[in-house]
Amino acid sequence: MKKYLLRRALFALGTLIGVSMIIFVVLRVLPGDPLVAILGVEGHARMMPADKARIMADLGLSDPLAIQYLRWLRDIVTGDLGKSFFRGDTVRDLILHRGPISAEIALLALVVSWIVGLPAGIASAVKPNGWLDAVARVVSIVFIAVPGFWLGLLIVLALLFWFGYKAPIIIVHVWENPWQNFQQVIGPAVVLGLAQGAYISRMSRSCLLEVIREDYVRTARAKGADEKVIVLRHALPNALLPVITISGVLLGFVLGGSVAVEQAFGVPGLGRALVIAIIERDIIVVQNLVLLYAAIFVVVNVLVDLSYAWLDPRIRY
Amino acid sequence: MTGQPRRVDRRTFLKVSAAGAGAVIASRLPSPGSAVAQAPAGVKADPAVKRGGTLRYSVHSAAAHFDVHQSGTVANIGPQSPMYDTLIRRDPKDGQTIISDLAERWTIAPDGKKYTFYLRKGVKFHDGADFTAEDVKATYERIARPPKGVVIPRTPLFATVGDIVVVNPHQIEFRMTEPRPAPYMLGAFASGWNIIVRKKSLEEHGGNLRQVLNYPGTGPYKHVERRDKEVWIMERNKDYWNKGLPYLDRVEVYHMPPFSPELGSSFLAGKLDYARLLDPVSWRKAKEMKNVTAAAFNQSVIQAFWCNQKKNKALNDPRVRRAIHLAMDRNALVEVVKDTAPMQIGGFVYPFHEMSTPKAELEKKLGYQKDIKPAVQEARRLMAEAGYKDGLKGLDFVVRDIQTFKLWAVAIQAMLKEHINVESNLRVVQTSVWFDEAAAGNFDLAISAIVSSLMDPSDIFSAWYGKGGPQNYGSWVNEPFHALAAQIEKELDQGKRKAMVRQAEDMLEKDPPLIPVAYEQIYDAYYNKVKGQNPSSYFGIYDVVRWDQVYLQG
Repeated sequence: MKKYLLRRALFALGTLIGVSMIIFVVLRVLPGDPLVAILGVEGHARMMPADKARIMADLGLSDPLAIQYLRWLRDIVTGDLGKSFFRGDTVRDLILHRGPISAEIALLALVVSWIVGLPAGIASAVKPNGWLDAVARVVSIVFIAVPGFWLGLLIVLALLFWFGYKAPIIIVHVWENPWQNFQQVIGPAVVLGLAQGAYISRMSRSCLLEVIREDYVRTARAKGADEKVIVLRHALPNALLPVITISGVLLGFVLGGSVAVEQAFGVPGLGRALVIAIIERDIIVVQNLVLLYAAIFVVVNVLVDLSYAWLDPRIRY
Repeated sequence: MTGQPRRVDRRTFLKVSAAGAGAVIASRLPSPGSAVAQAPAGVKADPAVKRGGTLRYSVHSAAAHFDVHQSGTVANIGPQSPMYDTLIRRDPKDGQTIISDLAERWTIAPDGKKYTFYLRKGVKFHDGADFTAEDVKATYERIARPPKGVVIPRTPLFATVGDIVVVNPHQIEFRMTEPRPAPYMLGAFASGWNIIVRKKSLEEHGGNLRQVLNYPGTGPYKHVERRDKEVWIMERNKDYWNKGLPYLDRVEVYHMPPFSPELGSSFLAGKLDYARLLDPVSWRKAKEMKNVTAAAFNQSVIQAFWCNQKKNKALNDPRVRRAIHLAMDRNALVEVVKDTAPMQIGGFVYPFHEMSTPKAELEKKLGYQKDIKPAVQEARRLMAEAGYKDGLKGLDFVVRDIQTFKLWAVAIQAMLKEHINVESNLRVVQTSVWFDEAAAGNFDLAISAIVSSLMDPSDIFSAWYGKGGPQNYGSWVNEPFHALAAQIEKELDQGKRKAMVRQAEDMLEKDPPLIPVAYEQIYDAYYNKVKGQNPSSYFGIYDVVRWDQVYLQG
């Protein structure tokens, strides 16, 4: 187990270093001048080239790329993620302030996806091709197909025009005001959760259908066991492994999707901070946030792999 | 005390306006041998006004830095101005009249070469330090002659400011190298951008305040808290020099993108009391609400596209540029973006400026008429005369990645093709890339928007159309125009100046330095409980921005 853990940790580290290199290079290769955002359009137009070069040097953007990259790695190791080019706010503070909201949305979305997706999948699998199965399949395809940000905008507009309602417009942490916090995260969580729930429904249906045809399920039925017990106690745990795997992958989609959905709902989470940083070409913020997202994705997948052994005693590392 | 705000009826308003206008006109007429003294009263507190409360206001996304002088966006001036004062200012009642602020009065030498400001006594910065003429000198030395690495877009307004002399702690003189029209100079001093900062703040930070969050001002509100990209919270400055002001206890400035659904929905749901830069759809919705006032006013921005005269030989021909100018159906272009941003038709000078061609007259000119057939005919004739009867092909049309420009670019592309057989390829780029490409001259046509600090034509004649001007992206040169613009800048007689501006407009029509598309308007909306402001007559969003006279009632 220790060896396996070590191997996975090394793989994860390698993946993150690879990701960091890609992020770093892409951000520097893309056209566009961060000085336009820093100085404003007029200021940039009126600044002499020598002054522009000096500011770029002050920002550390004139150094060779290798030096800039190593400096960034050093900052990550020391926990100092650097400062925004613009207002001097630290990236660490940004993550600490906005991260909890985004984490809440992601976790709540995961919960919603299981609450919606699993029962739908089970209902579909128990009576395949019945009316319940048909409804579940149509609904799940709809939620897979509909973009989250569009659904988010519809919800925001519907709440606004029908009820004159809008969630709080600045971050309210759960420890400050749980009710307002809930109002802020529930919208994005439901939108993201429904989309992921659709995938979980499809996956759990197909896995359960496969397991239900296994010999041991037939044996249980032959022994006269109750159908509910057969499905929930014997079949479902064995059908869950692929569902858990896909949940790990989906968490990555939730993180990615949250960028657009947070924007649609106007929730000032990390996703929205990333969008603004990209617009501003705030390279330091963008590279750290993208790496954070990548790190979360890698860690979640390692945890998913480790959970197999706990869920299925046959699996040993 | 009635507990009600003092009401001003129409008759009183007209009397006061007439008196004020008379005073301003009189003050502009120099009497031989004596300085022109001006001491219009500043904003005064009304004891009858209800005090207290929190104003929730939204204007633009968060700024990229905190240095108001270096900024060119309302993202700075919106949230930060309530914490600062200027030397003189525009009256918040009309957004036009210049009134006293930290300078309680001023004189202008008869030859226009010396401006003397008499400063208020007993004014303190938020850190408790006394405000003196040294702070004004440090502020204006920085604006007029920025230190290395600092760029201040208003610097050209003070190009003729020579020595800035502190006469005593409460008197300061600006000695000009050559005179400029008084409205131009006073407008420059009254610009909301030119906030007075402490000399010590500038010294402590090497003249650069970009990353200094809370440098002290003398303004009506003090910094309390800022949450990055969310909100900037300020509280009433209890020691404000203008006794009785401000009325509000607290101002919360929310950072939301202009014209965004987020801003519109927040306002319509009552999460904001005042929204600036609303999108047209939300604004129209707000207008239908009984307890809301929706206001529209002119903004100091021109939407235009440039023809690169250095790169493209055909575009260097004034006849081709005039043909492109005439090929535009401007009424259609305004219509194209009506749900994205409010626009109005104009020529080469702000269409609402007293010196520009009046709207009714402009609408009769080729290129601005509703019926575009005569303009298109003339455009085709000009193309043929210039040797481009068959049109042009393969023009690189660089489009700034903003919704209005993307919509317009498609329409303009079609108009050029249909009317004068000019074919172009659209290339949509990010804002920062657009400015790189424009500065490097990597375009044939390029569409964007540019701002000016003042409405005065001299400001735009140098920045937009000036030889080597910072926003002369097409590299336009027209020596007779530049000579005329230099004369306009120096001319002190307003009547003569107006005639010269009209003459300049004619020159620009014949040899366009850019192709004007439209002029922007700003849509504001506020709940009727927000009293004390009248944005409908403001010019732009950069001068009346302090909220000291605003109160909540009802």
